[in-house]
Amino acid sequence: MNKPTEKKKILIADDSQMNREILKDILQDNFAIAEACDGDEAISALASDKSISLVLLDINMPKVNGFEVLEEMNRTKLIEETPVIIISAENAPSFAERAFNLGVTDYISRPFDAHIVVRRVVNTLVLYGKQKRLMEAVQEQIFERQKNNSMMISILSHIVEFRNEESGPHIQHIRIITEFFLRALGALHPEYALSEEEITLIGTASSLHDIGKVSIPTEVLNKPGRLTPEEFAIMKTHSAIGASMLEKLPLYTDEPLVKTAYQICRWHHERYDGRGYPDGLKGDEIPMSAQVVALADVYDALTSERVYKAAYSHEKAVEMIKNGECGTFNPLLMEVLDKCADGLYEALHSTPDVESDLRKVAAEVLKRVLTDE
Amino acid sequence: MNVKEFYAAIDGDYEGTLSRFLSEERVKRFALKFEQDPSFSQLCEALKNGDVGEAFRAAHTLKGVCQNLGFDSLYRISSEITEILRGGSLNVDQKMPALKTCYGTVMTALRALKED
Repeated sequence: MNKPTEKKKILIADDSQMNREILKDILQDNFAIAEACDGDEAISALASDKSISLVLLDINMPKVNGFEVLEEMNRTKLIEETPVIIISAENAPSFAERAFNLGVTDYISRPFDAHIVVRRVVNTLVLYGKQKRLMEAVQEQIFERQKNNSMMISILSHIVEFRNEESGPHIQHIRIITEFFLRALGALHPEYALSEEEITLIGTASSLHDIGKVSIPTEVLNKPGRLTPEEFAIMKTHSAIGASMLEKLPLYTDEPLVKTAYQICRWHHERYDGRGYPDGLKGDEIPMSAQVVALADVYDALTSERVYKAAYSHEKAVEMIKNGECGTFNPLLMEVLDKCADGLYEALHSTPDVESDLRKVAAEVLKRVLTDE
Repeated sequence: MNVKEFYAAIDGDYEGTLSRFLSEERVKRFALKFEQDPSFSQLCEALKNGDVGEAFRAAHTLKGVCQNLGFDSLYRISSEITEILRGGSLNVDQKMPALKTCYGTVMTALRALKED
């Protein structure tokens, strides 16, 4: 952040030294000045000096002209945060039109009036400053809301898991693995690419996949040996029960989070070959969210210690899943597992930066809101 | 020669320039800087070399500087030359003598202004 006493910096890009000096003379009492005598210099000044708050840009310059500087600023997205005012002797409307289309804030024709240049520069900086502070404030609000959501859900799922003696960091693992698979799938197959917001939504919903277990008797839930067929039948009810809990919520049943959590609860024990439960769905009948959570659940069960088994290594678990020892999965997810197994290990063994992920989501939400206008 | 007399001598716009520059001191300081502005000689050089792109750029800059400084008659002639060059034609022979004469008038007047 600039200290209030610090002068904001303006880049003057004009091939005429005389023109630069006139502008500098007008502005230097209130602003720090950087100069560029052609488009090339302007581009490198903008790339290297992040303290430039505004650009006064001439159009006709040797080597790289003003339009090309604007095109470059569009490529680097710098135009979104650094306002540009054109000062040009070109008075043809087509020039101004083209400059505005390239994102300039204002167009001042020569000969310019010193007062007007200063006024327009100050106005532009004030507006940009306000907009920037507003955007930061909104983004912070979105972030706080996301954070509260995510906190409530992790408390809730922790309560559910608390009865389940074997769980440990299960919920967090499922979330990390789920989000990892969704991102990796989108990277390998762009037609499956989801936004960060959607990925976070599915990741959050994944925390609720076992809520139905609250209705499973503790003797069954925490039985240290193999379950009898009757006990297994009881255990299997947890997915339908969890889904029905969500379905019977007095409120929010139309919310994307609840709908996604419903899919995950109900269908995270379905199998791609149709041999799962409770509905025996097959292939793409199973929503991708539930398919991914199912795979995450299996991987985490294999790599965790249980009363009846030791933890398998990452390599062993990946191998067992690929060999089809733990169910049948979507070939696309098997491809991800095959190509991205190292990344999965890394994602699970690095400290998750939940705040930074949530900030990314907040930025994405804000951007969407602004472009919808 | 004072600033007002200087502008009268070169057929320039004293009032307009003063109102845009806000102080006579600034008008004088920048008018005097015109002596070092290279665009006129760059234009002549580019025309000699037959480089229409560079000639256009130099004429355009000269036009812009003159416009800023309120050197109206020099601005008018350099504008006309700029427009011919913009079209890609080097055919400015008819206009160049007038430009040279006008430029000479400005340079002479500037020397008088400097001595003031």
